Amino acid sequence: MEGTHEKESYNFEIVQWFSVAAVIYLVVGALLGVIIASQLSWPALNLDIPYLTFGRLRPLHTNAVIFAFGGCTLMGASFYIVQRTCSVRLWSDKLAWFTFIGWNLVIVSAVITLPLGFTQGKEYAELEWPIDIAIALVWVAYAFNFIMTIVKRRNSHIYVANWFFIAMMVMITYLHVVNSLAIPVELFKSYSIFSGVHDAMIQWWYGHNAVGFLLTAGFLGIMYYFVPKQSDRPIYSYRLSVLHFWALVFGYVWIGGHHLLYTALPDWVGSLGAIISIGMIIPSWGGAVNGMMTLSGAWDKLRTDYVLRFLIVSLAFYAMSTFEGPMMSLRTVNSLSHYTDWTIGHVHSGALGWVVMVSTGAIYHMLSRLWNKQIYSARLVNFHFWIHTIGIVIYICAMWVSGIMQGLMWRTYDEYGNLVYTFAESVAAMHPYYVLRTLGGVLVLAGALVMLYNTVMTINKSKAVA
Amino acid sequence: MEINDRQNPYKAKDTGHQWDGIRELENPPPKWWRIGFHASWIVVLIYCVLYPSIPLLRGSTSGLLGWTQVKEYKESMAEIEKIRSPYEEKIKNMSAREILSNPELSNYTQVSAKVLFGDNCAACHGAGGQGTPGFPVLADDDWLYGETIEDIEEDITLGRTGNMPAHGKTLSKQEIDDVVKYVMQISSGGIYQPGRDVFMGMTEGEAMCFACHGEDARGIEDMGSANLADSIWRFSGTEEGIRDVIIHGVNDTSDPKTIKARMPTFGGKLTPTQIKKLAVYVYRLGSVQNE
Repeated sequence: MEGTHEKESYNFEIVQWFSVAAVIYLVVGALLGVIIASQLSWPALNLDIPYLTFGRLRPLHTNAVIFAFGGCTLMGASFYIVQRTCSVRLWSDKLAWFTFIGWNLVIVSAVITLPLGFTQGKEYAELEWPIDIAIALVWVAYAFNFIMTIVKRRNSHIYVANWFFIAMMVMITYLHVVNSLAIPVELFKSYSIFSGVHDAMIQWWYGHNAVGFLLTAGFLGIMYYFVPKQSDRPIYSYRLSVLHFWALVFGYVWIGGHHLLYTALPDWVGSLGAIISIGMIIPSWGGAVNGMMTLSGAWDKLRTDYVLRFLIVSLAFYAMSTFEGPMMSLRTVNSLSHYTDWTIGHVHSGALGWVVMVSTGAIYHMLSRLWNKQIYSARLVNFHFWIHTIGIVIYICAMWVSGIMQGLMWRTYDEYGNLVYTFAESVAAMHPYYVLRTLGGVLVLAGALVMLYNTVMTINKSKAVA
Repeated sequence: MEINDRQNPYKAKDTGHQWDGIRELENPPPKWWRIGFHASWIVVLIYCVLYPSIPLLRGSTSGLLGWTQVKEYKESMAEIEKIRSPYEEKIKNMSAREILSNPELSNYTQVSAKVLFGDNCAACHGAGGQGTPGFPVLADDDWLYGETIEDIEEDITLGRTGNMPAHGKTLSKQEIDDVVKYVMQISSGGIYQPGRDVFMGMTEGEAMCFACHGEDARGIEDMGSANLADSIWRFSGTEEGIRDVIIHGVNDTSDPKTIKARMPTFGGKLTPTQIKKLAVYVYRLGSVQNE
């Protein structure tokens, strides 16, 4: 029943391009991650070349993973989902191509400007003002096309996955525009219009909601389509979808303050950031529960369906990191964890465990349907699953140990009330964990390469689905 | 398309919606989740009553617990200060020399300056004061600007800027070769006369090395000039290194290749007590032979 009819009526070509781009960017992002992890383990690898130092490659790594890989996955998957769940073709093919080309030009400009040292110095919003304007234009074009497609849908209700995509589009527009407000002084130099603690507050309101609306809401949209589709099960609870959607949307925007505890930020902003983070555990788990319960009565599928493994394990990592994050935003825990590697470990359990795994599952699912071919090698999908999972576990365990050790070393006093360790001693103590983290990253990169190989072979060599 | 039992093991009702073959059931959220959901907003409300969290026109509510982060900071600092203060009170009014002569306070100072040294000095002078290329060794008894603890305190407070003119333009190649040879031989007792003549300003180039390094080449403490006769080298003891210093000088702005040697001023950055502690720490690094 899925076949020729869809091919004619849906624009799947745009989804194909986004999907292949996403797989390539996953390799690039992971490679950059391995490079900067190695630089932290062996600083000589900075090579004394300014363009290749950690400080410039690190934002390139984060941008490559979040916006190049994450962005292409979201745009591709959302265009796929919105067409299929609304039973209509995209509102505008031209706008879709504008989105694809524009977004990739933004990525290319990031690859050029970040190593050259052009940066606004705002985490996850480093790109300078001309690129910021381009991002805004492309993003609005993407959102407008998506929403117009929903407007002309053939069915009465809007599917839950699309609620999450719309929430993402509206909020990311708002966050990106406000946080990027700046006075340009040169082509690649500008100053934020906010100053002091206001600038910090705006930055982390943006920063945390990039996590909340791009990396959580957007990928929940992906989850809500691919989990029921891949497992061939109905969504467990409509009511749960509604409740956790609205709780998430109303809750997330408050919690950026937890990035700035024990700073010049007023106490009340920090309190709200901390406690609403705690209040978000259960709403966040709503999505994980709904996805996992959808599998009720079909758990045996995990034994044979490797794509489903990615999707379900991603939900486990999602549940774990949405518990860990709120814990880290409690002031008592934060005073130990802040500024340490624990934060890096937490981010990666979310990014590698949740975002990459749910995306990988979605892309493998789409591959065979977009090209009407069987996956070239299911065994390689399984191999990817295991090497990726082992890589994440090594990575986050290394960072837990390293981060907690760092935090404890910084606050250890002797019996005279003097600090025991110098900062350099805490750096030296982290070395073995940095090496372990590099190893974890290498495994993730190897998995990404396997995925790229499998993708290319599926498209070129695989047999058509009968 | 009907949903079979396997797809709906709990026999929940279907919402009747369908998108691309995906259906939705009307299961209620799990009971533990519903309890947790209500507990969440209740906990949020309680926390907001206990801690400062509601913005007002001026400031915010202060919370029943009266907590502020500044108060928490002061309390935890007070805890540490309570342990430190018996020692710190005594140290405050003592000179570095007096601290050195008191074994208990001297040990306390040594321990408490360890992190100060690590965070402020070790980057250039090495974690154990062993020196790094271009930066002097502190773990010995050889001092350019005097070896008393007061001298060391002054070094840290005011910083030091080395100073030697570049001789690349004023001396001929032959003169430079000669004086390099001379400098290399002094420590072992040899006197290379042609080089000695250059050193004493008796050749055409009128180098006047003796004016700063002394006629005996043993350096002059008040000027901070290096002792060239003790086999301890401020920069390098190799022929090439010595030649480099003579040609380009030290901190001579007229020569772009001059050797930069500047110890920063810590007077404004660290408190007088911290500097006193560091002086004691650094002094003891090098005084092993004295004890």
